[in-house]
Amino acid sequence: MIRRQLRVLRICWRAAVAADLEYRLQFLSSAALSAFWMVWAVAGASVYFRFAGSVAGWTHGEVLVVIGLFFTLNGLRQTLLQPNLELMSDHVRRGTLDFLLTKPFDAQLLVSLGRVRVTNLLDPALGLVLVTVGVVLSGRGVSPGRLAAFLLLLCCAAVLLYALTVLLMAATVVLVAAEDLDRVSFAFVELSRFPVDLYRDPARTLLTVVPVAFLTTYPGAALLGRLDAGMLPVAVAVAAGAVVVATGAWRRALRSYAGAGG
Amino acid sequence: MRDVLTAYRALARGGTLVAVTYRGRLVLRVLTGFFPLLMMAVWLTVVAESGPPAGWTSADFLAYYAAATLMANLSGDHVVWQWDADLRSGDLSLRLLRPLHPFHQYAAADLGQRLVTLVALAPALALAAVLSPALDYPVTPARLAAAGAALVLAYALGLLTASTFALLGFWSTQTANVWLLWWGLGSFASGWVAPLELLPPWPRTAAVVLPFRSMMGFPVEVVTGRLDGGETALGFAVGLGWLGVFGLLYRVGWRRGVRRHQAVAG
Repeated sequence: MIRRQLRVLRICWRAAVAADLEYRLQFLSSAALSAFWMVWAVAGASVYFRFAGSVAGWTHGEVLVVIGLFFTLNGLRQTLLQPNLELMSDHVRRGTLDFLLTKPFDAQLLVSLGRVRVTNLLDPALGLVLVTVGVVLSGRGVSPGRLAAFLLLLCCAAVLLYALTVLLMAATVVLVAAEDLDRVSFAFVELSRFPVDLYRDPARTLLTVVPVAFLTTYPGAALLGRLDAGMLPVAVAVAAGAVVVATGAWRRALRSYAGAGG
Repeated sequence: MRDVLTAYRALARGGTLVAVTYRGRLVLRVLTGFFPLLMMAVWLTVVAESGPPAGWTSADFLAYYAAATLMANLSGDHVVWQWDADLRSGDLSLRLLRPLHPFHQYAAADLGQRLVTLVALAPALALAAVLSPALDYPVTPARLAAAGAALVLAYALGLLTASTFALLGFWSTQTANVWLLWWGLGSFASGWVAPLELLPPWPRTAAVVLPFRSMMGFPVEVVTGRLDGGETALGFAVGLGWLGVFGLLYRVGWRRGVRRHQAVAG
């Protein structure tokens, strides 16, 4: 079952990548732009550290780790989630969702992961480079335990982002004209650009509940060895809960979907 | 001239109606419009922990970023995406047939949409002003008039630069990325990343002669009372100069570009 799903996804992705690579100049200029944004984000953050050695207990290097994770997750969002979300509102308005639903394949999987876009493929890699630089600058070193906790939390963050996308797709089915729902997922990730501690209360508590903190702050803190181990099961529970809620919302939305007719 | 004004009124009304039709979109726009306040939140943390950087107190940051939020939401850069989409879909051909230059069509529609954003944003800013007594502008009639003029100049220059860059679409399909690069380069010199006074000396000097500050930081600096008479005059001179430069670039670009234009089927 899972092997069949993976095979179908692979075929979908190969077609999408081939189509994207036709625009070679677009690909190259987007890659250059990715590197540019990263340099700029680092320069922007350094303005704060002209006036303070650390902000809310985060040193310059430690903040760079979180910024790197932001680029990693944002790149994943732009590569895997955004193209599908954009397509979704077209599916609902034009009625092509009807075709997808009648296919003998899990519609949620096809709708949420069927498309990829390669223009931002470089971002996750660049982000991880910045994470490495940040870890070195922070002078905290790494241990296998921290690395394992970091990878677990990073997976939880990716799952959380996926759940949000499915939730927004369910909302698209109900609201129909909702092209700008993509802005919600953009805003969600954008809020995670800095460690949430930098915003202080009440914004910090709000961003922990929402749960923006689970995207970059906690994985970054785990890598730097400044996270309480008790957060690990919480993060797993939050990610799992988000998937359950999102899948439930998607099923409910489909039940109310009446079809648009092509 | 009167025809153009009549057309502006009608098209701006159209833009307003489009903006209020999709109410969900409007709410999202307004919410994401508050992003500059995140940078302010970090500055407030810095002030609380390490003292006022370069003499900027919490009240200074509040006043700066409240005004900057307004400016960020008034930028006319949506025109670039609209123009790009129309070139790709062939809708530009339709606009070319209308008896009004496309620049005015885009500008008027954008003006209508900006008005809606302004009306949606105003109550939030007013509420913030009431709730936080620290948010206080040293307003005099002269300063208010200067700030109003700077705001109009900022909007006009933003719209004109965006339209000039949009003309690249006649030659290339990379308009969006070129525009993002331009915007990104400018984000330091405009006062978007941080108030210019807090940047190292050389970007600050560069910002005075570059066009970006006129589109965002300058009106904010005027209304927060950070500029003396000479600096204000210089700011206006630089802004008007760039308005002339981009006006010229636009005219040349348009004349050459539209001659090259081979419409994509609609």
